[in-house]
Amino acid sequence: MPAYHSTFLVDGANSREVGDFAVLPLKTKFKGPSLPCDSEYDIIDEILDLFRANTFFKNFQIKGPADRTLIYGILFVSQCLYKLNIRMSKSESVRVLLNLASEDFAIPGDIGFPLNSLYQAPKDRNESIFFRQYLTQFRQELAMRLIERLYGKDELKPNKFWMAFSRKKFMNKSL
Amino acid sequence: MDNGTGMTKLGFAGNDSPSWVFPTAIATRAPGSSGKASNAPKPTFLGGGTSSGSGNNLIGGSGTFGTTRAPALSSIKRDMGDLDFYIGDEALEAAKGPGYSLHYPVRHGQIDNWDQMERFWETSIFKYLKCEPEDHYFLLTEPPLNPPENRENTAEIMFESFNCAGLYIAVQAVLALAASWTSAKVTDRTLTGTVIDSGDGVTHVIPVAEGYVIGSAIKNIPLAGRDITSFIQTMLRERGEPDSSLKTAEEIKQKFCYVCPDIVKEFAKYDNNPEMFAKYIIDTVSGRKLTIDVGYERFLAPEIFFNPEIASSDFLTPLPEIVDSVIQASPIDVRRNLYRNIVLSGGSTMFKDFGRRLQRDLKGIVHRRVSANERLSGAKSSGVQVQVISHKRQKNAVWFGGSLLAQTSEFRSYCHTKQDYEEYGPNIVRNFSLFNVP
Repeated sequence: MPAYHSTFLVDGANSREVGDFAVLPLKTKFKGPSLPCDSEYDIIDEILDLFRANTFFKNFQIKGPADRTLIYGILFVSQCLYKLNIRMSKSESVRVLLNLASEDFAIPGDIGFPLNSLYQAPKDRNESIFFRQYLTQFRQELAMRLIERLYGKDELKPNKFWMAFSRKKFMNKSL
Repeated sequence: MDNGTGMTKLGFAGNDSPSWVFPTAIATRAPGSSGKASNAPKPTFLGGGTSSGSGNNLIGGSGTFGTTRAPALSSIKRDMGDLDFYIGDEALEAAKGPGYSLHYPVRHGQIDNWDQMERFWETSIFKYLKCEPEDHYFLLTEPPLNPPENRENTAEIMFESFNCAGLYIAVQAVLALAASWTSAKVTDRTLTGTVIDSGDGVTHVIPVAEGYVIGSAIKNIPLAGRDITSFIQTMLRERGEPDSSLKTAEEIKQKFCYVCPDIVKEFAKYDNNPEMFAKYIIDTVSGRKLTIDVGYERFLAPEIFFNPEIASSDFLTPLPEIVDSVIQASPIDVRRNLYRNIVLSGGSTMFKDFGRRLQRDLKGIVHRRVSANERLSGAKSSGVQVQVISHKRQKNAVWFGGSLLAQTSEFRSYCHTKQDYEEYGPNIVRNFSLFNVP
C-alpha cells in the first residue's frame, strides 16, 4: 500500500488549475482569490489528515493536479512544525506561523522552489500574481488550522505527538 | 532443541511449551587467555569417539581429559580455560564483567562456530535438560536450505561427542506447519502450506509441499523484530521521551503494538479518543518512576511489514506481495493449497490482527489478478481461497511443532540411531524420512 493520494483528484467541471497545480476551493476567512468551499471537508483538512501518514513515505506518484496541492501542503506543514518548538504557547505560535505564511516565498517556476521538476510554472505574469495570492491564502489557512490541531484545548503546550513529526521529510524534500 | 539466531528453545516432547528459552549466546574467556581455535571446521572440543564418560567428567568438573588426549595442535592448547564458559542468560551476565567475551554461535539461522556450538549443546543437555543423551532421541531443527555438510557436522557432534541414542533434524518450516494443527481453522492436517517465519533478524517466507521445502521459491525479507524495535526507538527519540533504550522499545513492542487496518483512520482514532495513547512506566535503578507516553508507534511499528517504505529506504516490497510472489513461484499444482494454508510463526508475527491484515491484503492482490484473468480469458474462475492461520503457539511454533511430532509413536522409526551412524557414517543424515501425516 503506497502513500495516500488526494481524494480531490477528479473534480470535473469546477477545477481550476495554475500550471498543473489544482487551485481548490478553501473554507477560509483569510482574504484571497479562492472560491468558497461548499462542502464540509476541504483540501486543508485532507492535508492535515494525511500529513502524519504520508511523511513516512519517500516515494510518491503524482496522480493529478490535486496531488501537487497535497504535496505542497504537506511540505508546508513540515516547515511550520520545524519553526515551532515544544515550549511555545499558542499565541506565540500563531504569530510565528502567520509571519511564515505571508512572508516572501517561492512559487513554482521561481528560482529556489525545490519542486520545480514536478511543477509547471504559471503561464504569464497575471497567472503568477493570482497564484501567489492563492498560495498566501492557502498557507495562512493551513497554518491556522494546524495550530488548532496542535493545541486543542491546551493553550500552553503543543501536542508532542504532532511535534515529533517536525524532522520527518516527505519525499525527502523540504520547502 | 531449537537453536535460533536469537533464542534457543529447549524442552521435552509432549510438553506444550519449551521448558527453557534463553539467548543463543556463549561467553568464553576472552581471547588470549584460552587461545582456543575458533571457527574450527570440525568439532574438536570433545574429540571424536570418546565415550559418554567425557561428558560426565565435564559436569563433575574434573577436567582431566585435556592431558590424556592425542597431541593435536589445537588440543594441546586446551586447558581449564575450556571449561570456563557460560551460556544463555548467564553468558549475558558474565560478558558484562571482565575477562569474558560474548559470542553468538548461530548466524542467520546456521551454525557458524561449531566449537562453541558443541559446548553450547553440552551445557544445554547436561545442565538444563539434565538427561543422559544415551537414553534419549534428539530432535534438532535447521533452517531451510541448510547445506548437508552442516547436518553431517551436527550428527558427528551428537553421536560421537554426546553418544545420543537417536537423532532427527527437521526443517523449521515443516515443524511450524505441524504446530498450526492446533488451530481450530485447520481441518485437514497437511504438511503443505506457506510458512511466514519472522524472528529477530530476518523474515522468511517458505512454501512447503507435502513436507518438502520448495527451495527455489523461498524469499527472505530483511525486516524483522529488531527493525521494529529500532523503529520504535527512533520514534521515542524524535519525541524526546525520557528513556529510549533498547529494552524499553522492546517492552513497548511486546506490550502495546498491534496492526491496524488503515493508518490514516487510525491517526484520526487517536485524535478522537486520547485514551488510545498508552503510558509505559519503568522503575529506574534509583527508585524513581519514569513515565513514557506511547503514541502512534503502537500501530506504526508493525506497519513496516505492510509498508516497508516507512522504515527502510532500500527494501520496499510489502509482505503480502512477497507472499504472493513466493506462491506464484511455486509449482502450479500446489499453489491453491499454499494460498489456503498460510501459517505464521515466530515472535514478530504475534502482533494483534497481524494475520487478519495479511489475509485482507493478500486477498486483495489475488482477487485483482483473478478478475483480470477472467476479463482477459472470458472464463469464470472458481475463486482462490486465501486463509492465514494464526494460533496461540505462534511464538514457539517451531519448538511446539517438534514437540507434537516427537511424541508420536512413529517418531523413533524416522530417526537415525547410533547403530546406523556407526554402520554407515555421518552421511546418513543427509536424508531423513518425512513425517507421515497421521
